[in-house]
Parts: sequence; C-alpha cells; structure tokens
Amino acid sequence: MVTPPVVSLVLTGRNDGYGGDFNARFFRSLRFNHQQFTERGIAYELVFVEWAPPGNARLIRDQVFDAIPELDAAACSWYVVDPRYQELLSLNPRLEYLEFPAKNVGVRRARGRFVLTSNCDVYFGRRIFEVLAEGTLEPRVLYRAPRHDLTLPAERPPIDWSVLEDPGNLAGPAHVLKRPYMGSATGDFVLLDRESFHEIGGFNEVYRVARIGIDRNVLVKALSSGLRIADIGGPVYHENHEGSYRLNPTAYAGRETEAPWGDRRWHSGGVSYVNPPTWGLSDAPVREIGERVWYLDFSWAAMPPLVDLQRIVLPVARPGSPAPGLYVRKR
Amino acid sequence: MRRLFAALLAAFGLVSARRYETLSRSLDGLKAAAAEWKKKASEAEAQQRSMQAELSRHSQLVVKLRGSVEKWKEYHVDVKKLRDRLADTERELMVARDHLMAIEVKLDILEGAANVLDKRTRSSVPKDRHESGARA
Repeated sequence: MVTPPVVSLVLTGRNDGYGGDFNARFFRSLRFNHQQFTERGIAYELVFVEWAPPGNARLIRDQVFDAIPELDAAACSWYVVDPRYQELLSLNPRLEYLEFPAKNVGVRRARGRFVLTSNCDVYFGRRIFEVLAEGTLEPRVLYRAPRHDLTLPAERPPIDWSVLEDPGNLAGPAHVLKRPYMGSATGDFVLLDRESFHEIGGFNEVYRVARIGIDRNVLVKALSSGLRIADIGGPVYHENHEGSYRLNPTAYAGRETEAPWGDRRWHSGGVSYVNPPTWGLSDAPVREIGERVWYLDFSWAAMPPLVDLQRIVLPVARPGSPAPGLYVRKR
Repeated sequence: MRRLFAALLAAFGLVSARRYETLSRSLDGLKAAAAEWKKKASEAEAQQRSMQAELSRHSQLVVKLRGSVEKWKEYHVDVKKLRDRLADTERELMVARDHLMAIEVKLDILEGAANVLDKRTRSSVPKDRHESGARA
C-alpha cells in the first residue's frame, strides 16, 4: 500500500494570460514552494486542475516541467477539465472562471492526509513549512494564514526569504486574521485534513453566481459542521498583479452585477450549503492522456442540476461557536 | 400687741393696708399669669388645628403615593413584559433575517439560471425564424 503524502497542494489555473503573465507568476511561486517542501523533506503531492483551458494555447502541463525541471512528475496529478463544464455550470455569464468548482475537482481526487488549497501566485511562509514538517497538524481544524501582498521590483529578482520577508516589499499593511472566521483572503490558504474536506463536501458549488465569497462561505460551512478554525501562525505572500480583486475591490461599486468575480455583496457569511454527492465532478468520465495527466470529459451525468435550492441551508449555530453572519441589505 | 390688733381687724373682716397691698399685688400677678396661660392655650389650640390640617394633608399624600406605588409596580411589570417581548422579537428578527438571507441567495441562483437559459435559448434559435423582418 502506497503511503499517502502528508499534504496535497491543490491549485487551479489555465494558460490564458490572466493577470498579465500568469504562467511566469505560477512557475516562480511553484519553484519556490517546491524547493521549500523538498528541503524540509515534506512529502507533498501537487494536484493541478487546468480548468477549461483555451483550445488555442498550450497546456500549462506541457510547460511546467521545462520551467521547473526539478519537479517530480510522479508527485504531480494533473487534471484537465473539458471547457463545457465552465460554460454549462456557470450561473453568471460574466464569470470567466469557476475557481472553486475547479478546486473541488482537485480536492475530491487529492490523496494527501491533509489538503491545502491555494492560488498560483502564493508563496507559503516559513511557519507553514515548519508546521507541515513537524507533523503537528490536527484533524478537524481548518487552518488559515494571513496574506501579505507584495509589490516586487520590476526586474523580478529570484524569490527567496530575503525578498518575501522584506517589509519594504509589502504593498500595504499586513492582514490580520480576525475571529471567528479568520476570513481574509481565504482562497489563498485553506488547509484541512482530507477526511474533513470530504465531510464538508469541498467548496460551495451550488451557488455558481459568484467567485468572490465562496472561500469565505467554506468557513461558515466548516463552523456549522463542528470544525474549528485556527491561524497556522504565519503568513503567505502574494505577488500583486493587474486585474487582481485585491488591488481594487471597489472597481465595480454601484454595478456589482457586472464584476467578473460576481456580486461581492452576496450573503457568503450567512448561509451554508450541502453539495451534491457528485461534487468535484466525481462522475465525470476520466481518461489518462499522459503521465499522471487525466482529462475530464464532458458528461451530463456528471453535471449537478442547474438549480438545486434545497442545498442552500442555514448554518447550524453551535454552543460556544459564533452565530452565523449578520444580514447585509443587498437590494 | 400687733398680733392682737391684726386679730381684732380680722374679726371685723379687715386687713392692714400693708397686707392689702401685698395681696393686691399677688392678685395682679395671678391675673397676668392667667392671661398668659390663656394666650398659650389659644396658641396651642391654633397649633393643634394647624397640625391636624397638616396630618390630613399628609394622609391624602400617603393615599396618593400608595396609588403611585401601585402604578409603578404595574409599570415595572409592564416594562419586564416589554423587555421579554423585545428579546423574543429580536430572536424572531434574527431568524427572519437568516431566512431572508437564504431566500436572497436562492433568488440569486434562480436569476442566474434564468439569465443563462435565456442566453442559451437566444443563441440556439435562429434569429430569422422568429423575426418578421418587417421594417418599422
């Protein structure tokens, strides 16, 4: 029996030039993170979901091993998802990327004892590697890390600790996680044992109207499911780039429905969800197209219903746990 | 000799001039004292009447205050009831808000589904089949 890796790192992306130079940013952060995992002897698996890749561009999978030769293909699982899932799952034509259904594809198939979902331009801080190396992670605890946004010099120096930890590179005040949700920039760091991730059914894929807030919503679901949320004790670093929500969250103020990330005012802090048993496109037909590369073909059988309102539920208030979020008038 | 003379006068109901003077002064003193006491009695009577009036006023005040105390007691009970109702209403409001949030989220989903179905329908049906082509 093969020993599962300590942690599966679940990332998603596609070769569409998102944020200007998506591939370059991704390869920089992956190189750094891989080096840190390797140096500390942390057995990890990279689960990458190429969600709805454009037909006229090379897959990232076809470039990553040239860019990072030290990456071990045997420790990577690559899933390429048929673009029709993006087209037919979306409940908002302005959403170009269903980030969390994409991440669910990876979470559902991850083999690690713990599953870490993050983004392709995130560098993990020292404390995160220390905790993973120490093996002190607890089950049923959703770990969060605050994000430090960095503005890196234009010449893009090689990334090392001196660059990441230089306060001069901070784009603004460092974020502080606030109880009970510890919800700042959640999409950049959600770490949970695999069993619990499966118990909560991954990220919300019933509400496919927005991308923004789905990460916060998983925290409501976690608390409602009796999990604890804890600060892992150190930051992640994010390289600022054009088009980032973080750089201008109010760019669509007054016309929120036009935002490419959806209406950020939806009640992500006040409702919970019950994903269908097929979450993560578990019933999608899969065929292997390369070494540890699988293609998820389109099938209506794998598709959840367009609308499944009963799966939007009120969170359970648990004794000693915070009450569900406050109502915010939207309309 | 003097005693004999006094006794002789007394036998005829008479007193000496000196004795008369003394007794006369005593009488005046007693009259003045009587008048003084009469005045004091009159003042005391007036004071008694005043105190009775005061007592009567206080009695009325006590009755009035007793009524007020009863009203305050009732008010206190009412306030407690109102507080309980307020707490209940707050709880109900919270539940209503929770449900409202869920409903709004569901409406978002329905609206999104309607929009995408509308878009798909428009793109799947050829335009010239349903448009008259008549010029306005």
